Amino acid sequence: MHNCKETREIFTELLLDGMDFRSDQALSAELSRCSDCRSEFEVLSATLRLTNRLGETAAPAEDYWTGYHSKLRQSLVKAQAESSTSRAKAQRHKDELGPLFEPLRPRAGTSLFARFFKTTVPVPLPLAVAVIAAAALLIPFAIRAARVQHSNTTTVVRVPVEVPVVQEKPTEKIITRVVYRDRLVVKATTPAKDATRAESTFAKSQKSEGEAMPSSLAGFKPSDEVKLTVIKGGVPNEK
Amino acid sequence: MTERDTDAASDIDLVRRAQAEDIDAFCLLAERYARRIYLLAAHYCRNPQDAEDLSQEVWLKAYQAVQTFRFDSSFYTWLRRITINAFLNHRRSSFFRRNGQTMSVQLLQIDSEEQQVFFESSSRAQENIYNKLLFESVVNALAELTPAQRLAFLLRHYEGMTYEEIATAMNCSIGTVKKGVWRAIGKLRARLSPESDAQETLTNFASEY
Repeated sequence: MHNCKETREIFTELLLDGMDFRSDQALSAELSRCSDCRSEFEVLSATLRLTNRLGETAAPAEDYWTGYHSKLRQSLVKAQAESSTSRAKAQRHKDELGPLFEPLRPRAGTSLFARFFKTTVPVPLPLAVAVIAAAALLIPFAIRAARVQHSNTTTVVRVPVEVPVVQEKPTEKIITRVVYRDRLVVKATTPAKDATRAESTFAKSQKSEGEAMPSSLAGFKPSDEVKLTVIKGGVPNEK
Repeated sequence: MTERDTDAASDIDLVRRAQAEDIDAFCLLAERYARRIYLLAAHYCRNPQDAEDLSQEVWLKAYQAVQTFRFDSSFYTWLRRITINAFLNHRRSSFFRRNGQTMSVQLLQIDSEEQQVFFESSSRAQENIYNKLLFESVVNALAELTPAQRLAFLLRHYEGMTYEEIATAMNCSIGTVKKGVWRAIGKLRARLSPESDAQETLTNFASEY
């Protein structure tokens, strides 16, 4: 069964590889079956042939290459000079610093730890004197600065303190109510006068009662204790 | 021993000498492969001056890295890897730095004078205007591609590399490479096919010439 897509993929890859399709019998058979594929093959073949010719024809002339290679040679010489300069610089640094680290280089039989403590490094005398003098000057200052800093610093010690929490206990509430009640007057006084007196006394007591005390006991909490004293008598000062 | 074996042996010998900082040996290697590298660069850059700069840069990088050549492949395979990296770096840096525009816009910016200079540098191109038109058509077709697609097509068509090799060299998938190559073929076919105007012009010129 002919498949145009597959056939075109195959001959495109063959053309890109520069192979001759006539060597491929299967492809030749496929192309002979389909005129569209055959024309597509011819177009593509011509296109890629043209691009191949481009590679052959677009190359610069021979005299161009003389200048090209001389320019390249100059670039290479310059690059080599730069490379050798940087290498020489690196070697010089190595030569200068190398003897300093020579004692620390690994040797058979001695450990690095032992070599570290046994190694002596030659130092120029002026440099050594300067280092010792600087140390001698700086150490007292450093000690003093450390002491001052130590004295100035306030140490904050955190001690947990337990603060007693006072809880209010419900106190006993005592309410004294004085109730005045009229008493029957036994004395032999004039009834009218007694009645008036009694009436006025009662009204007075009622009035004072209404101002000072609530008319009922409602509103007291159960925890409250009400102490009620009942004083019998008609006269307020009489007990 | 065939001629190719002799060349290969000679390559190895020249590389060994180049590793010993023999510039002459390296220049001999450059003379041997400079045309191939230059043509790749010319197709890639579509500008003769850029092609020269890029190909010179490739050779300079190759010289600086020649100490790392381990003789596990042919010298040209190793050189081609350096070339591809240089092209990709060129794409990332100079192309976008210089233009910051799309490839089709850059195509319009190709000065006809520059093309003239390029063709004047080739005596064969001077003689044959057909080649000039052909080059222009191919360059215009390639200019419509992205740099990666163009490079994939060049490596597949001119260098004969497999899709796997190209994908490895360009650090992308095989599918991306195939897509780029087929897209390039489509563009070239549209530009250069017999029914296109460009091809008609080319044919007329060819018949007149």
